[in-house]
Amino acid sequence: MKDVFIAGAALYQAGRHYGKNIDDMAAEVLDKALTDAKADIDALFVASSTTELANKQQLLGAYILESLGLDKIPVYRVENGDGSGGAAVALAYHALRSEEHNCVAVVGVDKPNDVLSNQQQDIYATTLDTYFERYFGFTPLSYAALMAKMYLKKYEYKYEDLARWAVLMHSHGVGNPYAYFRRQVKLEDAVNSELVSEPLRLYDVGPLADGAAAVVLCNDKKEGPRILSIATSTNAMAFSSRPEYDVLYSLNEAARRAFEKAKITPRDIATAEVHDSFSIFGVLAVESLGLVKRGGALAAIKDGDLPVNLSGGFKSRGNILGATGVYQIVEVAWQLTGREFKRVDGNYGVVHSMGGVDKISTVVVVGI
Amino acid sequence: MSRVGIVSWGAYIPKYRIRTEEVARIWGDDPIRIVDVYLVDEKSVEGFDEDAVTIAVEAARRAIRRAGIDPRRIGAVYAGTESKPYAVKPISSILVDALGLSNNVFAVDMEFACKAGSEGLVAAIGLVESGRVEYGMTVGTDTSQGEPGEHLEYSASSGGAALIVGKDGIVAELEAMYSFVSDTPDFWRREGSPYPMHGEGFTGEPAYFRHIVGAARGLMEKYGYKPSDFTYVVFHQPNGRFPVRAASMLNIPIEKVKPGIVVTHIGNTYNASALMGFAKVLDAARPGDKILLVPFGSGAGSNAFVFTVTDLITERQKAGVPTVEEMLRDKIYVDYAQYLKMRKMIKLFE
Amino acid sequence: MRHESVPIYWRNIPHYYRLVARRCKKCGAVYFPPVVRCRCGSRELENVELPHEGRLIEYTVLHQVGTDFLKQKPLIIGLVELSNGVRVTGQIVDAQPDKLTPGTKMEVVFRRVIVDGRHGLVMYGYKFRPVGGI
Repeated sequence: MKDVFIAGAALYQAGRHYGKNIDDMAAEVLDKALTDAKADIDALFVASSTTELANKQQLLGAYILESLGLDKIPVYRVENGDGSGGAAVALAYHALRSEEHNCVAVVGVDKPNDVLSNQQQDIYATTLDTYFERYFGFTPLSYAALMAKMYLKKYEYKYEDLARWAVLMHSHGVGNPYAYFRRQVKLEDAVNSELVSEPLRLYDVGPLADGAAAVVLCNDKKEGPRILSIATSTNAMAFSSRPEYDVLYSLNEAARRAFEKAKITPRDIATAEVHDSFSIFGVLAVESLGLVKRGGALAAIKDGDLPVNLSGGFKSRGNILGATGVYQIVEVAWQLTGREFKRVDGNYGVVHSMGGVDKISTVVVVGI
Repeated sequence: MSRVGIVSWGAYIPKYRIRTEEVARIWGDDPIRIVDVYLVDEKSVEGFDEDAVTIAVEAARRAIRRAGIDPRRIGAVYAGTESKPYAVKPISSILVDALGLSNNVFAVDMEFACKAGSEGLVAAIGLVESGRVEYGMTVGTDTSQGEPGEHLEYSASSGGAALIVGKDGIVAELEAMYSFVSDTPDFWRREGSPYPMHGEGFTGEPAYFRHIVGAARGLMEKYGYKPSDFTYVVFHQPNGRFPVRAASMLNIPIEKVKPGIVVTHIGNTYNASALMGFAKVLDAARPGDKILLVPFGSGAGSNAFVFTVTDLITERQKAGVPTVEEMLRDKIYVDYAQYLKMRKMIKLFE
Repeated sequence: MRHESVPIYWRNIPHYYRLVARRCKKCGAVYFPPVVRCRCGSRELENVELPHEGRLIEYTVLHQVGTDFLKQKPLIIGLVELSNGVRVTGQIVDAQPDKLTPGTKMEVVFRRVIVDGRHGLVMYGYKFRPVGGI
């Protein structure tokens, strides 16, 4: 089987893009990535979580291609909630490994700011079980809060320890030209921010942002960053019946398989982009990926830097829902090659893209 | 005729209370005078997510739990209310699914101001006694309306009481019942109108007293009872004064009425008013006690019932279901602003 | 969200009103929310009503809510272990959050969940509250 190379990529500044329709925004970033790759694609994968609910558009792929005047290209939409990006990259990877296609693009796009903040809560809540969780008023935030509360108690951390995650993310995000909030924050700002679902405060929540990211993947290249392995895993247990609340089961299994296939270990990782839609998920992701031992993530942050979410993560770069996974792939590839980001010292990076509250995780190992 | 009677009872009072003085503070009334006139110190308020349906379900579930019967053996269910969340769509059908009754059950919502719940009792008695159903249930439930700033607001409150009627496992056997009805427009609410209107003093003599006394006296004359036969007497309780005065008109000692008085602590729960008082008396009654129950509904009519408490009462009182007395004590006070929110009286975009 | 689906509500009434779960006839595992196939492999599951008492495992007070709950915020969201060991998440009502603690005895209550505007359906379901009041 042929290797899969990252041939080109482009990112759209995360933010509030009131002046753009979703198809045009995706088309612009895809166009840039194609130019960057200097390649023609023979398939397009579109990752988006909420285009029907927030932007009132189905068949989004067709309209992205219409905006670029690209006929005859097969296009597939992938929806795995806020983990759509990783899932779309996985499908694109398999299409190339099977040699059905030679060059494909993945474009991730979401525009949550087309609706009001409370409608965003409605929409985000549809990643939960709509009949038994959303119906009763739960949101992903409320579950993250329950997991945070249990984690802090179990490992005897103070809230202040968790608030350091946001501070760390913002210090990383300063180095990301595409970040939504590109500035340092102080620990006291995080600790004193508004309580949104105790113990979680505003700074524990990655702000929803409009954005788009595109990556061109080809199997006929010989150099540049490569996708070494991809694995996706699902946690099929209801939130209420989880045996434990301080582990991401979907990630645990996906990470085990991805590292095994890539023949590397977590110790080889120079940079990781994890799904920290809420700070606690970032903490759990670092542990479930195997980068830090269980219960040790916050102690590790207290002691110093962690090479995790150099993009600034969901808190600083922003939570671009289904597009985020594509952002993360591009960020890791660029961090490994020193493009737009400061080059990291090492050859391997890893991406964790997650849909829902530990429902589906995709892990991508990238190497140079 | 074969024996028929109450097999079980259940009551529910929402936890929230507003003090009379808090309502009076808003509307510039003298709280001491208001309490003196109505003898209502505070009233129950339903939570924001409660209504006549949820209150009915809670009361009915407690009655079923106390009875220890399979709910599928209940063949008739009636809801008496004047606070229907829907103008058209029954509470009784929600009760069928919420309580796990069978689908082959006679069910209807009844309306006769505050008397409807007790009319459900009459209907259940008829069906059980005739052998057409094994058990019948009635629930009086209300989130009573009173216009803000109008005197009705001092008493209109929320609560529910449920009774299960059967032939097996009777705790209070029916001895007699009687009715008194006439077209007396003392209190009404037009279709689409949010608050009832009433005739102030006219609600007294020609309405409450004429019908309560008419039903009670008629029953006693027809079936040969005298006041001394009754251990407890429970009347409809629109305020604290009316039931006491009704007792004196009937030469019934006040001590027999007092144990069934709940209005002073929770206000007038309309369809649950007399039934709640009855539930409170059943919580404490001893075998052999005789109870005269006289609900009243504006518009106007009264039913009078006589029950004799059986030996089974002691066991049923220990069913682990909260007593009315316990619920009267279990409360959270709210201020007038919270009260308006809970009663959905703040105008919202919807 | 306005204009909730009536068929969705209607078909879930047994679960919303009476906590009807699915129990595997072969191994006895109980699923709530209900499932089609047991983890033991059996597809023979039967309806079973969950008990109405339990204990609080953990809770949070949620201030950011969706459109249906704007007038009810904050919501107390709890994870409750029922007396048969089955765990259920639900809103907690009639409670002061600062007095809740893991282990608090809880009971199931029947409440309004979503009211679909002024003219739409009133949708009910289970919630929890502390036993005996706190």
